[in-house]
Amino acid sequence: MSNAQPTASRRSLSLDWYAVALAILAALLVRLNLIPPVKW
Amino acid sequence: MATAAIRTPRADSLGQRTIALIPGLLLLGAVGYAGKFIQQSINAYTKSHHIAFPDIEYVLWAIVIGLVLANTVGVPRIFAPGVATYEFWLKAGIVLLGARFLLGDVLHLGGISLLLVAIALSLSLAFMHLLGRAFKLKPKLTSLLAIGSSICGVSAIIAAKPSIDADDEDASYAIAAILALGAISLFTFPLIGHALHLSDKAYGLWAGLAVDNTAEATAAGALYSDAAGKVAVLAKTSRNALIGFIVLGYALYWSSRGQAARVGNKAAFLWNKFPKFILGFLLISLLATLGFFAKPQLASLANLSRWAFLLTFAGVGLRTNLRELGRQGWRPFAVGAIGEAFIALLTLGLVYGADRFLRL
Repeated sequence: MSNAQPTASRRSLSLDWYAVALAILAALLVRLNLIPPVKW
Repeated sequence: MATAAIRTPRADSLGQRTIALIPGLLLLGAVGYAGKFIQQSINAYTKSHHIAFPDIEYVLWAIVIGLVLANTVGVPRIFAPGVATYEFWLKAGIVLLGARFLLGDVLHLGGISLLLVAIALSLSLAFMHLLGRAFKLKPKLTSLLAIGSSICGVSAIIAAKPSIDADDEDASYAIAAILALGAISLFTFPLIGHALHLSDKAYGLWAGLAVDNTAEATAAGALYSDAAGKVAVLAKTSRNALIGFIVLGYALYWSSRGQAARVGNKAAFLWNKFPKFILGFLLISLLATLGFFAKPQLASLANLSRWAFLLTFAGVGLRTNLRELGRQGWRPFAVGAIGEAFIALLTLGLVYGADRFLRL
């Protein structure tokens, strides 16, 4: 078994947590009105 | 037709790694925004000149611009680290999308999705193994193709590869075939959905159940309509939640044959393979349901999710390498293609049935 894939797997798992953390931080900033309304 | 062809150059310190992301992030933003600009410009022009023209979503433009760039001039190495973040934006976008769902809707549609996923999974896994045997593929390559096409594409293959001790070559073949088929489904699914006059919910559910990669499933849904994109993400997320169980099943099977390492703590194994962004999605959906956010704040979160997806769709086009397909050999692709067609038909039938009997 190569070592490359477990590393990639671990990295993608921590990527999940970073994505969750960023999204929750953004949600909190929006909730506390610390960023202006986001337009599309 | 596709593979993750962009290699990430090595950067050492955290600061260097962060700076290395900037060019690619700017490219993702530019390609995604160009897609949005083209959609708005065409709509404004056709409206002001009273021309009847279909509203082509920015998703398609962003993907096509990315595809053309990547397969003509190519994507220089300096952009690679930033472009590779498209999956990060996808996950952040899915978490924020939770703001557009009441938890009751998540449980209703997610429950239906899980039921359909369970039926489709068992039939598609069996079918893929029959195909693999008929085409004389290596058993572990067949396992990877079956996992990739029935659960969640590349992530599932990457999660399964070390667990079943498959070769690097098999994993690359399976990933290339799954990405190629995902790219094809981007263009065929919306056409079929419109031809069959599927409702937004039915189409979204179908795309979420049948398209392999989460990025492609999200894009295939969004290409149909905003509402279909929302449902596609939910259905795909339900499918992703099962990744650990399927990979565990395969790991136990190959280990019982002495061809993979023994699985120790099964609960820890399942937790390791579980996509954690689903928890973030559920949390935001719960907060939205409990009235934690005011209405304009919910709109802001939904728009943040759209911006995150815009970067994702740009990345889908930019990492798709059309030339790579020819190098992968036709058999894994043929098995994947026949299997995908089977899964698409099977899930379409299931969605029709669910629409009729379970009221989507």
